Amino acid sequence: MLKYTIERVLTFIPMLIAISLLSFVISINAPGDPVERLAKSAESEGSAQEQSGASKKIKAELRKKLGLDLPIFYFSVSNLSTSDTLYRIQDKYHKATLEHLTHKSGNWAKVSDYYKELLSLQKVHMKLNSKDIFESQTELELNTINEAVNQVGFEINNLLETSEEELIDLSFSKIDDKLSNFSFLSSLNSSFENVKKYKNEINISEDKWRTYVPKINWYGSKNQYHLWLFGNGKDRKGLLRGDFGISYIDSQPISTKIWQKIGISFSLSLISILLAYLISIPIGIYSAHKKDSAVDKGFSLVLFILYSMPSFFVGTLLLLQFANPDNLAWFPVSGIQDPTLFDPEWSFWTKIKHRMPFLILPIITYTYGSFAFLSRIMRVGMIDVVSQDYIRTARAKGLGEKKVILKHALRNSLLPIITVFAAIFPMAIGGSIIIEVIFSIPGMGVEVYNSILNYDYPMIITVFTISGFLTMLGYLVADILYAVVDPRISYK
Amino acid sequence: MSTQNKENFSFKKYAWNQFKKDKIALVCLYLLFSLVVLAVLAPYIANERPLYADYKGYKLYPAFASESRTDSIFKSDGKLDEILQYDITDWRTLDFNKVVWAPIPYSPSTMDRYNRDYVSPSGKQRFKNKNGEITDAPSRFRHKLGTDGIGRDLAAGLIHGTRISLMVGLVSMGIASLIGIFLGALAGFFGDNKLKMPRIKYYFTLIGLFFGLFYGFGHRKYALADGFSNGIMSGMIELMLSILVLVLAIVLFRFLSRLIKVDKLQEETFVPIDTFVSRGIELLNSIPRLLLIITITAVVERSIWIVMIIIGITGWTGIARFTRAELLRIRSLEFVQAAESLGYSAKRTIFKHALPNALAPVFISIAFGIASAILIESGLSFLGIGVPDDIVTWGSLLNLGRQNLEAWWLIIYPGMAIFITITIYNMIAEASRDALDPRLKS
Repeated sequence: MLKYTIERVLTFIPMLIAISLLSFVISINAPGDPVERLAKSAESEGSAQEQSGASKKIKAELRKKLGLDLPIFYFSVSNLSTSDTLYRIQDKYHKATLEHLTHKSGNWAKVSDYYKELLSLQKVHMKLNSKDIFESQTELELNTINEAVNQVGFEINNLLETSEEELIDLSFSKIDDKLSNFSFLSSLNSSFENVKKYKNEINISEDKWRTYVPKINWYGSKNQYHLWLFGNGKDRKGLLRGDFGISYIDSQPISTKIWQKIGISFSLSLISILLAYLISIPIGIYSAHKKDSAVDKGFSLVLFILYSMPSFFVGTLLLLQFANPDNLAWFPVSGIQDPTLFDPEWSFWTKIKHRMPFLILPIITYTYGSFAFLSRIMRVGMIDVVSQDYIRTARAKGLGEKKVILKHALRNSLLPIITVFAAIFPMAIGGSIIIEVIFSIPGMGVEVYNSILNYDYPMIITVFTISGFLTMLGYLVADILYAVVDPRISYK
Repeated sequence: MSTQNKENFSFKKYAWNQFKKDKIALVCLYLLFSLVVLAVLAPYIANERPLYADYKGYKLYPAFASESRTDSIFKSDGKLDEILQYDITDWRTLDFNKVVWAPIPYSPSTMDRYNRDYVSPSGKQRFKNKNGEITDAPSRFRHKLGTDGIGRDLAAGLIHGTRISLMVGLVSMGIASLIGIFLGALAGFFGDNKLKMPRIKYYFTLIGLFFGLFYGFGHRKYALADGFSNGIMSGMIELMLSILVLVLAIVLFRFLSRLIKVDKLQEETFVPIDTFVSRGIELLNSIPRLLLIITITAVVERSIWIVMIIIGITGWTGIARFTRAELLRIRSLEFVQAAESLGYSAKRTIFKHALPNALAPVFISIAFGIASAILIESGLSFLGIGVPDDIVTWGSLLNLGRQNLEAWWLIIYPGMAIFITITIYNMIAEASRDALDPRLKS
């Protein structure tokens, strides 16, 4: 028994690592740049120049805080052509451009020259000031100058973010056009010529073979995964110590947000699971006891139909019938309390009494799905047990039918449905998204739903990781309980 | 087959006879068949373009033609009269000599601007007739099941939704069965201590796997990305190429391993393939499936195909478990042992002898899987996650009903469609379980 438990716990650890890896892989593949999103909410006011300087600083800080300046994993597999310092480049899009260019040419040194020259071109361009140019000459209007300068800046940005030959050529020709038409842009000339030269060198470089030779880079423990999981001992505590990062929506810690919402989801799933057990066990026993009677067949059919009813259909139907002024307006449509009446000072029971009408429809919807499922399992398990030898023995020695069923058969047929209980903790954290959305219950389900609509990846990934963890923990506990409760089960 | 005919007994026949005894299941099978017919014929059942039209002496079949088609109509003296652009022509205003409309004369995504704002099936419906006057809709052009907020016909949406639902079940479970049967068969047939190979071959296979992944997927990642951005077909071709590269690399390295003759490395070693597969199943089972699917759909593009693929690659565990269990049982039976002792290769033994006899219970799991795939897809479109907004599915229609409870027809009809389809699949699965495998009978 002890050996089995230890073995089971030992297999638990690699599974946890696998889950964390899976969610990490999903999170780094999430589209968009988290720094941009977080910086947007923290953007300061000021002139365009100041703002870009300030926001750059904020972005660099955020990048550092989120650990995005680190390599992704302990090691990476790339090819001979790529640089192992590519991860230091800050902008996600620039990084992608460089990677693709290197992939096409196989020559990182040349690509790096090209990139540096482009950056210096951008720097020179930044120094251009339309007003100064306007004052130093008389022919052109301020608008024309502004437009030309902006256009060139736009094309330089394009060049930094694209790796497609056609688009690069297009940008080149546009900048060429502007440079030849406007003499005030002449300060860009030398740099731009260099850019074109380097691009040409990339095109003619014959190092493509280098992309076919694999290379493994080793980074050690200073990487994003390690930071996400274990923290860095300073500002980040790591997932294992309950630091799930911050939300992209409002920069609040994820753990705070979860603690605010988990209570309602947890109590809903607890209540509904208990109710489902209370209803399904008697039904299961009864139909197994009266197997093949009309009542059993009726129950079976009804349960089968309930089992096939999608919960979102049932929820919507309940709303349509019982929370609709056209039919019966017995219950409120959404929420868990009436904000105009609700008073946080109320006693516990008053709060419950106030919330009851809001919760009845969700609880029905929550319960019915698992109840149909549980009753079916219960019935099958009971039929299985009743045909066993020891039940025949019990009957043979003259025990009453009631005693045989309720005392001898019931306990053994309860085993299969123990497992289901393990599922309620993950259900609480993930919430039943569909049901909470239908009834607008402010729990975890709606939280997850909103974070998906708003691309709040840290939240999604956290919920995903924790519910995977809890499910596995549930299975572990259920397995061990099984072994404890049922001595017949031997684990070899 | 011939030996079975001689004894006049075939398992398939037996199972079919058993299945036929369940009258409800038989009805469900016919219903499923008619759903498939409905799905295949959907563009001809619900279409705003007429099936056949005789227009100014021209015989046209607009519903069967492609949407981008244009026809030039000439007058009798040979002068150009007008040009019919099939996608923008308002067919209802044309003056036909003779016309046959589709049974539901609306397309699922066209908006009838005279019947916006949730027109009920029994309520007053407006119609613009040939003379441009707005009148009560004639019964031929009534929206028989009502419309949604922007005037799309519910009946047309339901008919075309059938297509998507059946597709989801078919494609996703197709993917799931490929993965599940393959992995389950390997795990069940070989177990942990049957797949033996020289150590050197084992190592070289792993190296081959590495190189295969590197060249097939690492090096081709831009080709793959370009392929998928050009459309699902070209993406699939690129993907096939990548898989081909992967397989070739593994085969090549396995071949290379024969060239190395070092005694110490020739020792036979076991490949614990069952452990790998079982752990994989356990891992996938320990993640709440809906949450996994929602998480993945959150980071990838919104497309109905991607949703199908995701449902498929997260749904193979049940099939793999059944296949594995069945092959564990079968591999110790006489006919498999006979095949092995005749010196057949493992491949031939598994795929020609063992697997065909193991598929019956797997079929049940697939049927249940289709029901749950349809349920998941409609749940996702009900939430508006993963499936693009412009695709009309049963789930998205039901969602419109939830947002406006007065439009009861948007709740009842799509909901019933989902419910009936799922019930049909579940019924067929249950009945075939009873027929194929009496041991599992409940």
